Amino acid sequence: MEPFSVVLSALLLLSAFVLMASKRIHSYIGAFRVQAVLVALNTGLLGLTTVAATGRVDLLVVCAAILALKVWYIPRVLHRTYRAVEYRVEKDFLFNIPTLVLLSLSLVVVVFVAVSRIGAVQDGTTLVLLVDSLSTALVGLFFLISRKKAIGQIVGLLAIENGLFVTALYASNGMPFIVDIGVFIDLVSAVLILGVLVFRIESAFETTDTDAMSDLKG
Amino acid sequence: MELLLWLVPIVALAVLALPLPRRVRHAVSLAETLATAAVATFATWTVLTQGTAAPAMPGNLFYLDAVSVILLDLVALVGLLTSLYTIGYVEEEIRRGSLDPKKVRALYLLIHGFLFTMVLTLTLRNLGGVWIAIEATTLASVFLVGFHNGKAALEAAWKYIILCSVGITLAMIGIVFLNSAAQGVLAEGTSLDWTALFARADSLDGSYLKFAFIFLLIGFGTKAGLAPMHNWLPDAHSQAPSPVSALLSGVLLNAAMYAILRTAAIVNRNLGSSLYTGRLLVGLGVLSVATAAVFLLTQKDYKRLLAYSSIEHMGLAAIGIGLFTPLSLFAAFYHMINHSLTKSLLFLSSGTVLQKTGTREIGRVGGLLKLLPVTGPVFLLGLVAIGGTPPFSLFASELALLTSVFQQKLYVLGAGIALLLALVFAGIIQALFRVFYPRPAAVAAARAGTAPAPAAPLVPGEPNRFGAVAVVVLLALILVTGVFLPSWLTKLIDAAQTILTGQGGG
Amino acid sequence: MKTILYWLLQVAAALLLAPLPIGAIRKVKALVQKRKGAPLLQLYRDLLKLLRKSAVVSDATSWVLRAAPFVVFATSLFAAAMMPATVRVLPDAFPGDLILFFFVLALGRFFLVLSGMDAGSSFGGMGSAREAMISALVEPAMLVGLFAVGLFAKTTSIPGVLSAMTALGFPLLQPSLLLVFLAFVLVLLAETSRIPVDDPATHLELTMVHEAMVLEDSGRHLALLEYGAALKQYALLALLADVFLPYDPFAAVPGVPGVLLALVAFAVKLLFLSLLVGAVEAATVKLRFFSVPNLAAIAFILSFLGVLQFLIPGR
Repeated sequence: MEPFSVVLSALLLLSAFVLMASKRIHSYIGAFRVQAVLVALNTGLLGLTTVAATGRVDLLVVCAAILALKVWYIPRVLHRTYRAVEYRVEKDFLFNIPTLVLLSLSLVVVVFVAVSRIGAVQDGTTLVLLVDSLSTALVGLFFLISRKKAIGQIVGLLAIENGLFVTALYASNGMPFIVDIGVFIDLVSAVLILGVLVFRIESAFETTDTDAMSDLKG
Repeated sequence: MELLLWLVPIVALAVLALPLPRRVRHAVSLAETLATAAVATFATWTVLTQGTAAPAMPGNLFYLDAVSVILLDLVALVGLLTSLYTIGYVEEEIRRGSLDPKKVRALYLLIHGFLFTMVLTLTLRNLGGVWIAIEATTLASVFLVGFHNGKAALEAAWKYIILCSVGITLAMIGIVFLNSAAQGVLAEGTSLDWTALFARADSLDGSYLKFAFIFLLIGFGTKAGLAPMHNWLPDAHSQAPSPVSALLSGVLLNAAMYAILRTAAIVNRNLGSSLYTGRLLVGLGVLSVATAAVFLLTQKDYKRLLAYSSIEHMGLAAIGIGLFTPLSLFAAFYHMINHSLTKSLLFLSSGTVLQKTGTREIGRVGGLLKLLPVTGPVFLLGLVAIGGTPPFSLFASELALLTSVFQQKLYVLGAGIALLLALVFAGIIQALFRVFYPRPAAVAAARAGTAPAPAAPLVPGEPNRFGAVAVVVLLALILVTGVFLPSWLTKLIDAAQTILTGQGGG
Repeated sequence: MKTILYWLLQVAAALLLAPLPIGAIRKVKALVQKRKGAPLLQLYRDLLKLLRKSAVVSDATSWVLRAAPFVVFATSLFAAAMMPATVRVLPDAFPGDLILFFFVLALGRFFLVLSGMDAGSSFGGMGSAREAMISALVEPAMLVGLFAVGLFAKTTSIPGVLSAMTALGFPLLQPSLLLVFLAFVLVLLAETSRIPVDDPATHLELTMVHEAMVLEDSGRHLALLEYGAALKQYALLALLADVFLPYDPFAAVPGVPGVLLALVAFAVKLLFLSLLVGAVEAATVKLRFFSVPNLAAIAFILSFLGVLQFLIPGR
């Protein structure tokens, strides 16, 4: 199982970079969906291992929840929101895309340095897994900072959460079940609330460019 | 019995969801907060006599000790007075036509949902649960911040949810690593229970904890409004309807601080000293106070002024938690209590001021003492109190904090804080003079300059009688606690501080 | 003796197999677009026809234009021959190094770029400038990827790399090699003028890159240039096949039949990779020229992440 996890984690990190490099809202959502599939695969893989080892099925339940919510439902909501409010390509970034991607790369190096300083992480495989998943989360954070359209920011939040979830998976074979489920409920409600907010912002500002929202300063 | 703390809000939410006349809604709201306050009193008594309150229930989720019960009492008290205030506030808003009567139901549902999530934060044993509850506080309050649906309100709501969600997600990383630190040490399923984590803190892995704490501090610190993650706070606090601002500032920030307190206690116990967490916390704390001091000096909007002052006071509390000595923890708790009461007083009375004058600009208010015979003077005294002037309680706690800093022989830090506090004081007093003793010509010019002249001249009188009662009660409270602390409260704070430093109790 | 046999085999395989992937890619694209498309072996016919025709060379050009087709062909053939089609008849002292491989290809490109500018026509110069920019952009990705492969094999000599990869069994299960593989696919697309970077089927002045550089060449010269391009693509595909898909299903079969079977397996790998490239071509649209840096940045981060994935576990 282990080599598969490592490959999956590398692909997960890659998906974060693809997300970072994409320009169209549609490709954001697509990249997020791919990422979610990878998260689900990871969870399912680990879930099967734990079922075989201890008979606990909670990870499989979580995997099903990921498939239902992150792979199917949330992208759908995002697409619908997108269709309803805007038809444009993201064009204003913090920096141009190659710069963003290279900066994200340096984030990975920073995470590597930080995680390798945790004395308890001795094993090389665990180190790779943690670096990959944490970097996914931080690249997601950077994505959120670099995008100015509201939907991009939602996707960024979701991407952070993806990386985080996998970190939890690798760091400790998942959190206590109730925490996992609670996190999920929070996440879904957050996305729904953000979706509603996007609609309201669109109708108030006639754009979802968050740079237009700059009345509040100081 | 303590489980009623969860039950009462749930029942109240169910009732409030029904189609009811407005009067009944007011009554239900008030009854809910009254009941919560009663149960909280009971819980406080239990904690005072037995040390903890953890009624048996499936999953053992519920846990209260002195640390959480102090803050819980604040939620109950501020919640009660706010709901009293809200009655008058809603009626006045409807009379002025700035609130659609149809939205009262949503307002009440959201406020009570928000209160419930805060109660949850303080009563869960599992740190993962605390995390969930804190994220839930954000979700419950987003629409409260954006309640008016204006451009500025939506902007504030967007900033609020994005920044706080990101922050809280980072805190999740901390929780994850806390969980991995507990792997193999604690039994399956209790790996995030605060009591278990704290009891076995010595055997956890320190390197994991150090890593985790950075993320926890950034995450919960965002929610607590510590600089440099404070950007959402002035916007959210100034744009939310005033009762909501009072709740945000008065209790929500404390709830986030609570999470920092708990986790810092674990890390400190594990590392055997508070140096690591202390440096981080004091650093952020001083930065917050400094940031607030700068913005306070140039602030034109009185609600934003109050918001920046919240950042300042949270910074002070963070410094107290950072030092982690018995005296500094005492000071931090005392400060959180005082700030909570004083700031809710100020936000509530600023709401009345806003309703009366229709402006948030400091320079355009003018003549408050005449216009609002009760709230005006209270607002004035509140501003004096928030600047840290005796005999009000914030002075006492700031003094205790400074004493604890000097006790640790951190003279430079102490002098720095004192200097910043002086700056803050100057900023607030300057604003106070501009609000209460403006040059009439300036007010007239400002009024004539921008806004159309009010249709009718402002008539003196209180628009919100309930609110006036609430703020007077709060004023009395901060006056009393400034000169005299009831023995049970001292005992409670001492107990909390012992629990956190791990000397006895636990 | 063995050395001579090996090189004969290598050159023959390269010359014979080189036009095949291009035909396969075109066929895949045609099928995806629901066309019948040209026959698989069309490029062989084109090349034969062109080779029979004499070249027309403008008086305004120098020796560079005349020399370039030969240099391009020779360097490409050399590089292609360096990549073993089968490791069965490996000579004892086997020359060849991945760095040499890329620099031989770079020499060919250098002459191609010069010849594009030689005639002084604006299109040729434009094509050359673009080609130079693209190659400069993908160079970091290529080198860092090479570095990752070298880290794994602890050498950059081709036989050393091959035996290290064969020892791994299935290199693509190593995350770092998987990422480098993806980076190399992007490099391949850019280097061989495939679709997201250049459209080999177009002669639209504003977008063409490779076609613009060979605009002045005709007849035999054109045939050599086209053959050179095909050989270059073959060489890069062979690199991917050898390094990342070293699996040999007929390892147990001895002697001449074994060698032949291994060659067939190699051709199948080439076709598979061509299918991949064809699929990418069919699925994407040509990038705006100013978006090419984005593609190059992605290729670079892929390589770099590959190196990181290798370094992080601290092997």
